[in-house]
Amino acid sequence: MPISSIGGLSPLPPRLPLAGAGAGQPAGVDFGSALKQAVGALNQLGSQADASSLALAKGDPIDIHEVMLNTEQASLGFSMAVQVRNKLIDAYTEVMRMNV
Amino acid sequence: MGLFSSMRISGSALTAQRLRMDVIAGNIANADTTRLNGQRQPYQRQQVVFTPLNQGASSPGDGLQVAAIVKDQSPGRQVYDPANPDADPNTGLVAYPNVDTTTEMTDMLSASRAYEANVTVLNSIKQMAQRSIDLGRA
Repeated sequence: MPISSIGGLSPLPPRLPLAGAGAGQPAGVDFGSALKQAVGALNQLGSQADASSLALAKGDPIDIHEVMLNTEQASLGFSMAVQVRNKLIDAYTEVMRMNV
Repeated sequence: MGLFSSMRISGSALTAQRLRMDVIAGNIANADTTRLNGQRQPYQRQQVVFTPLNQGASSPGDGLQVAAIVKDQSPGRQVYDPANPDADPNTGLVAYPNVDTTTEMTDMLSASRAYEANVTVLNSIKQMAQRSIDLGRA
């Protein structure tokens, strides 16, 4: 009784292009430079807060609320950055705990 | 619209109210000033005029700024006191500034309350930002 041969595997469907990490199109900034930019902005907030509190301490004509606003902005920005870091660490540990 | 733009709006209001407070302080301090630049002339009460900053048709703008500090042109009170060195030599009347301390006090209360209101707005904005940061803390 003739047995029909097994046909070859059909070719795999084309891979879905990954957004941003596609071979041809670097859509937008990559994660590293976005992170660097965010840290730079955060650093700027911090140095602004530093400069205004120093000006207040030196007795320069600067309003107290200006100083408080700057420090508050730096504080909020920093807690935001800490949250982003926590998320990153979470993602990392999640990947490390993955069963292979 | 960044996270801090609303903080900047309220901050500009705080600055403006501080300046208004300065002007009121100057008015009260000069409530009895009868000589200006060495001449017999009463001090004129000053007022601040506020104007919105960069406000478009459908944008909240950047808060407010002080457009001008203007002088109140209304006449001051005349007091008969011939012994005063600044009295008019013919009539014996001393021209006092048009500053009414009661009005200045109410203006001061108004500025103080407006400052408080803006601080409350700022606290609210800060709480909103903190709540949204708490969003990631699950």
